[in-house]
Amino acid sequence: MKDLKELKKIEQFADQCMKCGFCSFFCPVYQEEKMEQSVARGKNYLVKQILAGNQEFTPEMADIIGKCLLCKRCAANCPAKTQIDRVVVAARAQMVKEKGLGAIKNFAFRKVMADRKAFGRYAKLMQAFQWMMPKTEGKIRHLPDFVKNLGRRNFPELAKTFLRDQVKPLYKPQDGQQPKMRVGFFTGCATDFVYPDFGLKFIDFLTRHGVEVVVPDTQNCCGAAIYFSGDFETGRMLADLNVKAFKDLNVDYIVTTCATCSSTLKDYQKYLPDNEEQKQRYEEFEKKIKDSMEFIIDILKIKPEDFKLKKEFEGKTVTWHDPCHLVRYQNIKDQPRAILKALKGIKYVEMPNADLCCGMGGSFSVYHYDLTKKIAGKKMDGIKATGADIVVTACPGCMINLIDNVLLNKMPQKVHHLLELVE
Amino acid sequence: MLKESLISEFQKIVGKENVLTSPEALKAYSYDGTTSWIKEPDVVIFPKSTSEVSQIMKLANAEKIPVTPRGGGTNVSGGSVPWHGGIVLAMTKFNQIVKIDKENLTATVEPGVVLQDLTLRLMKDGLFFPPDPQSFLGATMGGIISENAGGPACVKYGVTKQYILGIEVVLPTGEVVHLGGRTLKNVVGYDLLHIFISAEGTLGVITQAELKLNPIPPAKKTLCVVYDDVAIAGESVYHVLENGVIPDKIELIDNWVINRIEEMMPIGLPKDADACLLFEVDGIPEAVEKEAEKIAEITKKFGAKEVRVAKDADDANKYWMARRAGFAAVFGKAKTVFAEDVTVPRGNIPKLINRCKELAKKYNLEIVVLGHAGDGNLHPAILTDISNKDHYDRAVKAMDEIIEGAVEFGGVLSGEHGVGLEKQKFMKKVTEPAVINMMKNIKAIIDPNNIMNPGKIWE
Ligand SMILES: Cc1cc2nc3c(=O)[nH]c(=O)nc-3n(C[C@H](O)[C@H](O)[C@H](O)COP(=O)(O)OP(=O)(O)OC[C@H]3O[C@@H](n4cnc5c(N)ncnc54)[C@H](O)[C@@H]3O)c2cc1C
Ligand code: SF4
Ligand code: SF4
Repeated sequence: MKDLKELKKIEQFADQCMKCGFCSFFCPVYQEEKMEQSVARGKNYLVKQILAGNQEFTPEMADIIGKCLLCKRCAANCPAKTQIDRVVVAARAQMVKEKGLGAIKNFAFRKVMADRKAFGRYAKLMQAFQWMMPKTEGKIRHLPDFVKNLGRRNFPELAKTFLRDQVKPLYKPQDGQQPKMRVGFFTGCATDFVYPDFGLKFIDFLTRHGVEVVVPDTQNCCGAAIYFSGDFETGRMLADLNVKAFKDLNVDYIVTTCATCSSTLKDYQKYLPDNEEQKQRYEEFEKKIKDSMEFIIDILKIKPEDFKLKKEFEGKTVTWHDPCHLVRYQNIKDQPRAILKALKGIKYVEMPNADLCCGMGGSFSVYHYDLTKKIAGKKMDGIKATGADIVVTACPGCMINLIDNVLLNKMPQKVHHLLELVE
Repeated sequence: MLKESLISEFQKIVGKENVLTSPEALKAYSYDGTTSWIKEPDVVIFPKSTSEVSQIMKLANAEKIPVTPRGGGTNVSGGSVPWHGGIVLAMTKFNQIVKIDKENLTATVEPGVVLQDLTLRLMKDGLFFPPDPQSFLGATMGGIISENAGGPACVKYGVTKQYILGIEVVLPTGEVVHLGGRTLKNVVGYDLLHIFISAEGTLGVITQAELKLNPIPPAKKTLCVVYDDVAIAGESVYHVLENGVIPDKIELIDNWVINRIEEMMPIGLPKDADACLLFEVDGIPEAVEKEAEKIAEITKKFGAKEVRVAKDADDANKYWMARRAGFAAVFGKAKTVFAEDVTVPRGNIPKLINRCKELAKKYNLEIVVLGHAGDGNLHPAILTDISNKDHYDRAVKAMDEIIEGAVEFGGVLSGEHGVGLEKQKFMKKVTEPAVINMMKNIKAIIDPNNIMNPGKIWE
């Protein structure tokens, strides 16, 4: 019998499924494909077959476990509380162990994203040459899917100066206030390379409210795309580096403006531990992580009505998109709504299906861009129904995909991070 | 294995992407909602029209290949498992709501429409399809008709067969026939429509259905009635009904289920109660108020310990969520669960409950009772573990005796889940041979080559 270490860890979760099929109603992938292999029940069954020795990691099997957004819609609505996301991630990890990472992912994850400096260099390179990145299909036919799909979409411009090149290691509270707490700021890749402004803005916001902020430059990518793809080895390395980066800084909390980052950092303890010691370390780390949305409302206890709208947004109608990594991974949904509803000068409209995944699913959208567009299409229908001018969210990953699809569908909406709306 | 040439014929009919033969796909179509019945097909085909189904059936009939229709695969009797291999006809892409006729209160649907999608669509017009199998998130109209499904609301509204005006069926020979019609009354020869309803896919493929709808009642109210003795709860059911109140739902959960629900999602159910009955009344607001009062009065008079009235829709929803979670609670707590589906005349509910209690003692097992008390359809569930032989054997014996008990009390072995594979051995025991013969003969006329879902119901 093969060593199925990673799968054995989640066997208990896989066994929970009672095959009721309820998840079919919630799974965005199934809703497009209408095939049993797409839905949580089918994936879970097939993974159980691997555990039973009746199924190998064939290319088709790889495709099946790859075609999952890890959006947790199934798990959140499962009467038996089956955690399919963990089953899928463990299956990917097992597969990587057995078959290795595909050449592209291998390069992207291990050589680039896992090496902060290299990632910066490559991002810089892309930044310099992005004007010549092919936009038409014809010219890029010879490129592998990975790059082709990146090239074909509306990708927001990379920032002129990355956050890492502007940020200071320490920010004191403004106006000579005594620091009421000290927090570490976790940058995150999307904020670093694409949206440095709201990183800076959040730091400014925190220091105005009496918080001292440290930004260690030894921090790395959170590892979401890496460990969710099954590269646990690199994932653990990044986890250890990030834990270490904040360890001796004596911070009360570690905050970030990216929903994916905050949930990923919190969940190291769920997905990655290989031994008790690691588990404990990740659990300790988890306790300190706060997403910006919960931090400002639950920890800083700023009253929703005390936020001030930025002038440029006056008179607009806004709606909220729930990132999977906030609403289901962290159960954060009331805080942002409370702020939006209390903000004077805008009108808030709830979107039907606000918690529907935008279709991004990390590297899912790279490999299954057509499916991403279809799933996003349903999200767009929800947005259209609100008549809103602005779609507000709190995850740069969602923002990138929402912007792409708003443009594809020739819709007038603008997409913003909630922090961009307030003074 | 089917011939390559045949596979390419199927591909010509429905397109390449709608014919699956990979080992992974075949595995994914080998099961349904049961744990024990698993069998892979040779091919999975996704038709999207009546004509495609007809062409597929003609080929299958000529080659004598078994065909098993499959909707959501949520049945719990082995019904959609391709027991003799062959073709699984997956109806999930054949799923348009063709028409909603507000004047006549009817809807025309394709077989793959999922009940919840229909419900959401009908809500926009203030209408609903009354049968409410609790698998509405996954069950399709084709499967619902083929199992004659019914849920809690059947106390007042009845089951699926009362809401099917007509169907279009592709016969095993590929011929397309229309049974029933679009009218409420219809007496034109034998009522063949109703032979297809609950046929579990053994006679033909349903490709369209004409549904009868109701307007959504303007008001609803939920009551949770608490009991010290589950058998007294059982008696309450007919006391309420004989006093002239017809709630749309009466559901029973016992102490074990109450406690599991409270562990999973604490909503303040009384943990020390032996059982609770959940009532829902619906109709015009004034009537709903009066009926709720009356239920409170009658249940108190006949031994209820406490009556809780849901404050508002959210509060009511909590109770019904809890009820739905009941099943999950049961399945999550044991390796193997026998979820029985016995149904007795309402007056005999207490007898059946007491029988379950005796059997639990006799065989030293956990037997949980939850179900649709309002229609006598209980789901006694036996918690066991197939890998523990001694325990499992005792569970099998207890299950046999529960079913015998139900029959003794004038009931049937399946209220809503059908026979499929799971209930075959009981089917023989409790059905007159002449009746089974008649069924076999009917099947032989319609399906001379025995290709439609073979191996089910009586074999
Ligand atoms: C948690 C849970 C709760 C449930 N609660 C209820 C309940 O409250 N009430 C109830 O009645 N049932 C209930 N069921 C059982 C089941 O959901 C129903 O029987 C449902 O109607 C099956 O629909 P389906 O689309 O999943 O059919 P499937 O399971 O796919 O198939 C059921 C049968 O119908 C046949 N079939 C499917 N489509 C067609 C077609 N187009 N033409 C011809 N034959 C076809 C199949 O061959 C099979 O024999 C429950 C099941 C679960 C798992
Ligand atoms: S994952 Fe959950 S919802 Fe899906 S079939 Fe299994 S038990 Fe049902
Ligand atoms: S996590 Fe999302 S995409 Fe994956 S199976 Fe569940 S619902 Fe489907």
